Amino acid sequence: MSYVAAGYSFAFGGLALYALSIWWRGRRARR
Amino acid sequence: MIKQLSQRLLGPVTLILLALTLWLGLWVTPSFKVQGNLARLVYVHPAVAWVAIYVSFGTATIASALYLWRRTRSMLVDRIAHCAMEVSVVFIILTLITGSIWGRPAWGVWWAWDARLTSTAVLGVFALAYLALRRANDDPELRARRSAVLALLAAVNVPIIQFSVQWWKTLHQGATVFSTDHGLKIHGLQAWTLLISFLGFTMLYFWLLRARYRLEVLRDERYRASLEEALVQRRREGVR
Repeated sequence: MSYVAAGYSFAFGGLALYALSIWWRGRRARR
Repeated sequence: MIKQLSQRLLGPVTLILLALTLWLGLWVTPSFKVQGNLARLVYVHPAVAWVAIYVSFGTATIASALYLWRRTRSMLVDRIAHCAMEVSVVFIILTLITGSIWGRPAWGVWWAWDARLTSTAVLGVFALAYLALRRANDDPELRARRSAVLALLAAVNVPIIQFSVQWWKTLHQGATVFSTDHGLKIHGLQAWTLLISFLGFTMLYFWLLRARYRLEVLRDERYRASLEEALVQRRREGVR
């Protein structure tokens, strides 16, 4: 089950981090 | 009206579909006959790969072709190609990571120089090269033209990835959902969860693409404003 948890964590976590990076770059561009 | 409604609904519907994928995939669906719980990765890895290779890379390829065609050439399609390619890089990296996590217990290795894996990695290198090429050019038209050509060249790799499991003897399994005679190989709740995961990740792609596109527009506006400001300052210095 740990491999499954790792797979789901990487997929969902990675995409969440990417979404966060877009938001952060947008905030920086607005400054 | 419909456009506004679909824009408003995109985020919440995506969230619901992805939450459903998590819940159904991890807790509700029964485990598989051969791989047991490990095969629950089927609700993540193929959907991520689908978006990486076909949806986002496909968007970048079509937008690049539209840019190269004179009638449809515009900075809008170039911007879409750029944003889609960046999203594609993220999805390709996640495809390789989730595939590797699945491969370790299933095959006994994290990585193999297998046709499917290698051709997907090559696509990732092409996508990264595309982003690097964009940074190397300051002239917007030259940048758009060169990167569009590179995107079309890289797209040749997509059918190679698709048919790699048929053309070569690979460690990677063949068609999982459909058998070669186009019969469905997965049924019931497992099939529905798989469908929900594909829909969820595809909608997430469109949500990310929209957000990334807005960022690009904002950056362009800021760049133009700073350029105009610098020009006004120069003129003032000239008057003195």
